[in-house]
Amino acid sequence: MVTPAGPGAVRADLEQVFRTAYPRVVAVAARVLGSRDEAEDVAQEVFLTFCRSSVPAGESAGWLSVAAAHTALNHLRSGRRRASREEAAGEPRNALSPDVADTVVAIEERRRVRAALARLPRKQAIALVLRHSGLSYTEVAAALDLSPGSVGTTVRRAESALRKELNRHASSH
Amino acid sequence: MRHPTDGTLRRLLDEPEGVADADREHVAGCPVCRSGLAGVQDDAAFAGAALRFEDAPDTDEGWRRLSAAVEAGESPPAGARSPRWRTTLGRPVVAVAAAVALLTGATAAAATDWLQIFRTEQIAPVTIRQADLLKIPDLSGYGEVRFTEQARIRQVADAAAARAASGLSVPEVARLPRGVSGDPEFHVGNRVSAEFTFSAEKAAKTAAATGQTLPPPPAGLDGSRFRLTAGPGVAAVWTQGRGMPALIVGRAVSPTAYSSGVPFATARDYLLSMSGLPEDVAAQLRTFTGDGRTLPVHVMAEELTSRPADVNGVPATVLTSRDEVLAAVVWVRDGVVTAVAGPLSGDEVLTVARGLRWER
Repeated sequence: MVTPAGPGAVRADLEQVFRTAYPRVVAVAARVLGSRDEAEDVAQEVFLTFCRSSVPAGESAGWLSVAAAHTALNHLRSGRRRASREEAAGEPRNALSPDVADTVVAIEERRRVRAALARLPRKQAIALVLRHSGLSYTEVAAALDLSPGSVGTTVRRAESALRKELNRHASSH
Repeated sequence: MRHPTDGTLRRLLDEPEGVADADREHVAGCPVCRSGLAGVQDDAAFAGAALRFEDAPDTDEGWRRLSAAVEAGESPPAGARSPRWRTTLGRPVVAVAAAVALLTGATAAAATDWLQIFRTEQIAPVTIRQADLLKIPDLSGYGEVRFTEQARIRQVADAAAARAASGLSVPEVARLPRGVSGDPEFHVGNRVSAEFTFSAEKAAKTAAATGQTLPPPPAGLDGSRFRLTAGPGVAAVWTQGRGMPALIVGRAVSPTAYSSGVPFATARDYLLSMSGLPEDVAAQLRTFTGDGRTLPVHVMAEELTSRPADVNGVPATVLTSRDEVLAAVVWVRDGVVTAVAGPLSGDEVLTVARGLRWER
């Protein structure tokens, strides 16, 4: 457990860290969940945990990204998504930019991406999301207790599995 | 040479500087690998598009919501994940414990619940008189030490088997030093790890036993757990049939420390204050604990001298025995410690180190 800063104490640097890190934390969760609204819920949970922790300020960005990825995957796997969020995933403002959406995934496919991520081994899913959120191999290695050399293998397996999952489902539809 | 792995090809896309020159060159000239790389690139681009998210959230609104929740004393729901985060322990203790872990070795800890404190990226020698080494405390006097992964070292058939078993490639020696010939034996060791739980009560008893009074531990240190890992590792050993190694080329994943607790500076300063180290050595240690990426090599002044060097641009440390019988060069790159050692001169081990061929 992260050591509490003190009984009930909220860390003094919370707002500063929040304003710097919030967009990235939401983006990490949104890559898993495919929904900005739900990602914002996850970000709130993560910052609520962070605000009473003693994670050093210099390490907060990494900690928050990892916590966001884990918490978002927990949401996927525990099926705690609310029905309203299911709907929200389909709202236009949560959609991908049109050029990408046209060529790769439509909104319906976001749901399949979530399902595919939920089926990946945890370590692969986390490595994949963190890498595509811009964390370096060294940072991903640190988050997952891997050697930097094996991050490439883990990410590669995850990408290959993700594509197979999505193609399998695409062809069965 | 063997084709680089898919993982290496994947890293080539993102961080080519993290891939060995030999692998880069191989891929550039190998149609099979270039085709493989294209497939890897294709899947990476597909995943990138599938996971793309560009919709910026409203930070002000997010902050208002969080402020209200904090004000109301809300707790995160059970699904929120709190990664155990890194904080660094006093380096002498880390060094000692990592060495202990290497020598002894113990149930798999819940690895995914721990995040890394640091991975060693440099090596700095600390000169300590031999008598002082005896004063470095045994960690068991300050809490509970439990080995979670035991050391198992075994010989394997060849470099390929060594790599398969350890995940680490073994570089080839371009030209063996004079007096060394033949093929090496390959040895691999698994990762070893130990968990240390600080106990204020035990520490107080240990201090009392030496007639000292323990300063009050900083908040949160009592009960804090630290996990230290080292390895896996691999070594190519030329023995010349004489029993004693004539040359060793070894690599190991750097000692790494993980913590569930208190901030680095707090733990470091507290542990240094009771380490029994002379003040000048403690001060020297403090100077390079800033980034948590330096592995101190304790040099016994009576027996070894050390000097800085470089191995193809990477800072390295050459250790030479005073009787000039043994020498070693040690450096760290990408979280892996590499050492070349033997009954050779400092210049000889450096020549071997600089001429290593990183083929896989």
